[in-house]
Amino acid sequence: MTRSALVAAGLVVMLLAPSALSGPVGPVRGGTLTIARPVDAVSLDPHFETTAPGAWIYQMILEPLLVLGPDMKIQPRLATAWRVMSSSRIRFTLRRDVKFHDGTPFNAQAVKFTFDRAFDPRSPGRWASLAGPIKGAEVVDDYTVDIVTNEPYAPLLYSVAMLYAGIVSPTAVQRMGAEFSRRPVGTGPFKFEEWRTNDRITITRNDDYWGPKAYLDRIVFRVIPEESARMIALRTGEADMVLVPAPAQLAAFARDPAFRVAQATGLRVVFTGMNLTRPPLSDVRVRRALFMAANRQSILQNILEGAAGPADGILAPGVFGYKPMGLDRLYPYNPQRARQLLLEAGFRPGPDGIMQREGIPLVLSILSARGRYFKDAEITEAYQAQLREIGVRLDVQFLEWATVFTNVRAATLDYHLFTLGWVTTTADADYSMLPLFRSDQAPPRGWNTWRYVNPEFDRLVDAARTSLAPREREDLYGRAQDLIARDIMFIPWYTTREIAVMRANVNGFVPHPIEYNQGFSHVWIQR
Amino acid sequence: MSGYLIRRILVMIPVLLGVILLIMVTIDLIPGDPAALMLGEGATADTVMKLRKSLDLDQPLAVRYVRYVSRLVQGDLGRSIREGRRVNEEIAEVWPATAQLGLTALVVAIAVGVTVGVLSARWPYSLFDNIVRVLSLFGLSMPIFWTGIVLIVVFSLVLNWLPAGGRGTWTHLVLPAVTLATPTIAMLARMTRSTMLEVLREDYIRTARAKGAGNRRVLIRHALRNALIPAVTVLGLQTGQLLGGAVLTETVFAWPGIGRMLVRAIFARDYVLLQGGVLVLAVTFVVINLLVDLSYAYLDPRISYR
Repeated sequence: MTRSALVAAGLVVMLLAPSALSGPVGPVRGGTLTIARPVDAVSLDPHFETTAPGAWIYQMILEPLLVLGPDMKIQPRLATAWRVMSSSRIRFTLRRDVKFHDGTPFNAQAVKFTFDRAFDPRSPGRWASLAGPIKGAEVVDDYTVDIVTNEPYAPLLYSVAMLYAGIVSPTAVQRMGAEFSRRPVGTGPFKFEEWRTNDRITITRNDDYWGPKAYLDRIVFRVIPEESARMIALRTGEADMVLVPAPAQLAAFARDPAFRVAQATGLRVVFTGMNLTRPPLSDVRVRRALFMAANRQSILQNILEGAAGPADGILAPGVFGYKPMGLDRLYPYNPQRARQLLLEAGFRPGPDGIMQREGIPLVLSILSARGRYFKDAEITEAYQAQLREIGVRLDVQFLEWATVFTNVRAATLDYHLFTLGWVTTTADADYSMLPLFRSDQAPPRGWNTWRYVNPEFDRLVDAARTSLAPREREDLYGRAQDLIARDIMFIPWYTTREIAVMRANVNGFVPHPIEYNQGFSHVWIQR
Repeated sequence: MSGYLIRRILVMIPVLLGVILLIMVTIDLIPGDPAALMLGEGATADTVMKLRKSLDLDQPLAVRYVRYVSRLVQGDLGRSIREGRRVNEEIAEVWPATAQLGLTALVVAIAVGVTVGVLSARWPYSLFDNIVRVLSLFGLSMPIFWTGIVLIVVFSLVLNWLPAGGRGTWTHLVLPAVTLATPTIAMLARMTRSTMLEVLREDYIRTARAKGAGNRRVLIRHALRNALIPAVTVLGLQTGQLLGGAVLTETVFAWPGIGRMLVRAIFARDYVLLQGGVLVLAVTFVVINLLVDLSYAYLDPRISYR
């Protein structure tokens, strides 16, 4: 199956509620859309704030050269065309009819200014740390610009298509300094209006927009931290749309004709990983036993309650290079077989029912946060009970996220297992396969938290990073994923779903697989 | 009096220096690096190091402390690590919201709590008194979180009288202020009732009645004024409770105040923002308790400060 077909299958169709008005209605101009979400933006500067609460807003204000559409295909935005010159250089032709909100003309200089600012080594932004080995932008002429990398880097287009690559108005940045992050100036379909910290951010339509103008007059992003309060605000009409809705209430809202639920399969996979340096997890039979003791189906149904989708690997289906690992076929849920594997590895049941080898009971430690990832703690607890059935005791340690983060980033990891999540931010497999599994990427350098060492794997991901042929890259990543499936070192629990609940008169919202890419410029309100 | 005031204010300085040191040391001791948290999963060790340097996080604790304090004496609370924004500016934005909420809750609590307490003491063991005692027990034991949600469900969702959250008109203030005031109302009602009952048994109350003072005059002029001292003391301490409760109330009602700013700062290990917020709260707490001490002299002329 091709990637786009998979994405199409993965995109869950909008559950259209019967409309209050009968007959087809075209888009209507005007109105204010109020969106409730749990946290405020940290900043509205795309180079430094890469979390969703900020990106939802600044992507309406600032635009990159390219964007990834809801179908995960690259579309032109401020660039009209591009040509791959080499594996480390892409040439972009820019739009000529674009002005920033402050009147500054958009051109190659603005692109260069943006890249110089984002990749300034003195104050690295988060985008710089995600974008790969980008060197910077080189002006060819007023409307032509080259983006170059320090080394061959095939996923470059994906890095340029990240929303963090939003082009900023050079005059505004120079005039405003640090204040720019509170009142950004870009080229987008909406302009910044007001930010009341921890309360609301308001943006208004840009009537001079170069492309099709937005329907809404205004969008208000409100912060409502409490989950049930957020859903009540939707019911009372104080909000028109809720992002990050309460999972337990989804079914009720989907049934109610006054509301509609839109969702797309996300890009984050939440998993329990195994530390290969801690015996007995160095033994692949033990790792397979741990996998086969996991009742993933039950966790999906009973804990996630339909708010997340199945996972068949570390990559989500929307990612370039994704190949289903076939884990249900390789390691189906089978406690008897899991016990058998432990016996083969030399373990025998002890008097208390816990398996032991040479008098040492099979007790494993696991580290998890509570609430960093959706249902992370609940899943860890369920897995603890499931492992008990094959005679493995799990000692669970729940710590606050910052502490978990420090633990997994350290050079040594004292836990056998850990529950974490990973999102392939660039939507290209390179972003995950390399730092998560390459032999030299053990923390603190990368995220090879399991300490997987396999030279054959390294050769595959290195070749995929430099190849310019998408077919070949897909094939290389497929083989790399086969190796991981064979040597198995993680149990993927679920793929996230991006879910929005809105009032039935809100139209035109298409959910995006990437959490922070949710866009509202085509939304209109029926009155 | 003014000598007393100056001494009390001077004592605040070591308290605040201690508060700063305590926050810095605590944040330094608990695991979690603000730079790594900011960059998140996917950041390279090299970028994290550069960011630490650009934020001065690579400096030893003592150096950071001295730098912070030397800026502080010039009235500069520094720049938030995570947001890069001036802390003065951020606090100036969120502090009025918390002050408005806390003050309203305080006024509601005093008005309702003291009135109910006096009435209970006037007719002890009456039906009214019994209901009040049960309700105040309820008010004391309900968690703020729960009270808040119940009020939202009743007054926003079912009756649709008041907004469910946010800050705007006075209608936005009603539910959070009542929620925040509830435990204090209960506390004040019980406190006022019991001290009033005690005072009403005093000889001077009998004297007052004997010389012909009316019931209301005895209750308010003679009894309440004396009964208020313990209640005011509790109120001073309750301010701390109110500020703590504000964190929860602000979360339930999406109230953009300092409590939520602090919670965010803790999770991001943004010690600069955290220090600024806690300093402002500490100053508030100390000032309110100073006012409480001063009010004793007004309530009871036998108390005076030199």
